[in-house]
Amino acid sequence: MKTRRIFPRLKDKRGGFLNFADYRKASNKVAYGFIVVFLLLFSFVAVFPIVFLFASSMKSVSEITGNTYTFWPQQWDFGKIGALWSRFDFGRYYLNTLVYVAGAVVCAVLFNSLLAYAVAVVKPFGYKVINVLVFLGYMVPTILNIFPLLQEIRAFGFLDPDHQSYLTFLPLWLGFGANAYYYMLFRDYFARLPKSLVEAASMDGASQLRVFTRVVLPLSRPIIGIVAIFAMTASYSDFLLPYCVLQSSNLQTVVVGIYNISNINPPLQMPDFLLLILLSVIPQIVIFLIFQRQIMNVGAGKGSKE
Amino acid sequence: MIVPLALFAFFVWVPMGRNFLLSFQNNYFDQEFVGLANFAAIFADKTFLKALGNTFLYILFSILIGYLVPVFLGFLLSEVFHFAGIFRVLLYLPCMISGIAVVFLFSTMYGDSSTDLFNAIAIAMGGESHPWKGSTSLIIPLIVLAMTWRGAGSTALIYLSSFQSVDDSMYEAARMDGASPWQRFIRITAPSLKATLITLFVLQIISVFQVFYEPLVIGPKGGPLDSSMSLLLLSYLYAFEDFEHGRSAAVAMVLVLIIALFTLAYRLLLKVLSGEKIIKRRGKR
Repeated sequence: MKTRRIFPRLKDKRGGFLNFADYRKASNKVAYGFIVVFLLLFSFVAVFPIVFLFASSMKSVSEITGNTYTFWPQQWDFGKIGALWSRFDFGRYYLNTLVYVAGAVVCAVLFNSLLAYAVAVVKPFGYKVINVLVFLGYMVPTILNIFPLLQEIRAFGFLDPDHQSYLTFLPLWLGFGANAYYYMLFRDYFARLPKSLVEAASMDGASQLRVFTRVVLPLSRPIIGIVAIFAMTASYSDFLLPYCVLQSSNLQTVVVGIYNISNINPPLQMPDFLLLILLSVIPQIVIFLIFQRQIMNVGAGKGSKE
Repeated sequence: MIVPLALFAFFVWVPMGRNFLLSFQNNYFDQEFVGLANFAAIFADKTFLKALGNTFLYILFSILIGYLVPVFLGFLLSEVFHFAGIFRVLLYLPCMISGIAVVFLFSTMYGDSSTDLFNAIAIAMGGESHPWKGSTSLIIPLIVLAMTWRGAGSTALIYLSSFQSVDDSMYEAARMDGASPWQRFIRITAPSLKATLITLFVLQIISVFQVFYEPLVIGPKGGPLDSSMSLLLLSYLYAFEDFEHGRSAAVAMVLVLIIALFTLAYRLLLKVLSGEKIIKRRGKR
């Protein structure tokens, strides 16, 4: 039986650039030491700002006006979490964000997959033109055309300040339904599905929509998961369009709320503002720790190959 | 499929086309045709020229600071044998934080008071306090540093998977032939990384054109003295603060043109490179 060691020996390293044979040499062992030292160093750089955020946000306001700098707070001011939370009604931001993210994920998966299916499998007249047009959208960032887009949304009556229901999210949600990148991920996945499956189902007289929902979608769980994770992280961080659309409403998401709070007068003291940033970051870190394997596979672009 | 097409039309194509027309009109509502007046106006605007120049500074610094770090990280991650999973999680963690939170966080670290982090470190090491983000020459490198901090982890994972995709038997064969680690790296590792290196180089340049929140928040608004102004931010400010919709669209068109040129150059480069491979293979046969 093979047991996994917590601290494996270098002479068991089989693959890679340097393996057990190389590690017989002392000089390569030193090189390995450098690899570990560098990784520790970079990990420190990666984590340090987050620790800094935590430490600074727990300081009391009186502490930052002093002349000497201490990294950790001299007095941990946990009490202010509740005070700030209720002052800005932070729970509302979380709830809005939750609704926003959920709708964005549904739209991102539903609409992009439908179009990708049509182009990759059904191939109607002019599908190549669609492909080129969508690629155009991939090249040009949406923010670039945000002014005309906002005017369109306004023309449909969505920027009305009296409009305070979650329907205000509709244009933002639907925006995730027109994402060139998600579309391309779906399209490439569908193009690799065995053609015989679709043909067999069509031969049995199933309609295209039925083939899509009964045959193709159940086979596409991996890619649906990837797009869902992408849309989840993207919509949580999404700023400019939500900022413009939700400006006059109480439906602001966490990120939009943080930006608006940064502009209030008189400005918040730095530790208090950092605490709000910390609150905005915590859900993302928790989500990451839960889904780390899936998210990092997606990040490496591995998922799309599998 | 009509519905998703309508969505793309609404969110992407119509605004894009409208912006194209707008760049030749005086503003969104009058729609009076003014020819190239908007382009003449922006090229006469010092802020625009500054932003155009800054764009190339952003590219330069993002390549100097941000391009090789992920390659190095990817290599370290592929070679480390102890706690590889933990290192990967730690290095990826910054990528999960929203762009807005990152810029606010770094903006406070770059503050000019002696109790802001960078100055506190400088003073602790015996130096003097600096106006970090208030300095016109430091602001772009500092912004790139924040972008690199957030982006390096996910790029490193892409390199990690290309390091891992190198066939172990190639290394084994080279070892048998007595190749030194250095020779192995030059002859085996580097060539198999070439495609990824080029792709990510171009993607990085294209993504740098889209720098927006960083100068908006850290600058703030492209400051100090427009020294961090980017084209995208300028286009936004023209439309939403000066109500010069035509000029905003003209800036957007300039940006689209630059991005299109880079994309074309990238495609050409890929074609040339793949052509080269075919020739090499023929030569061997």
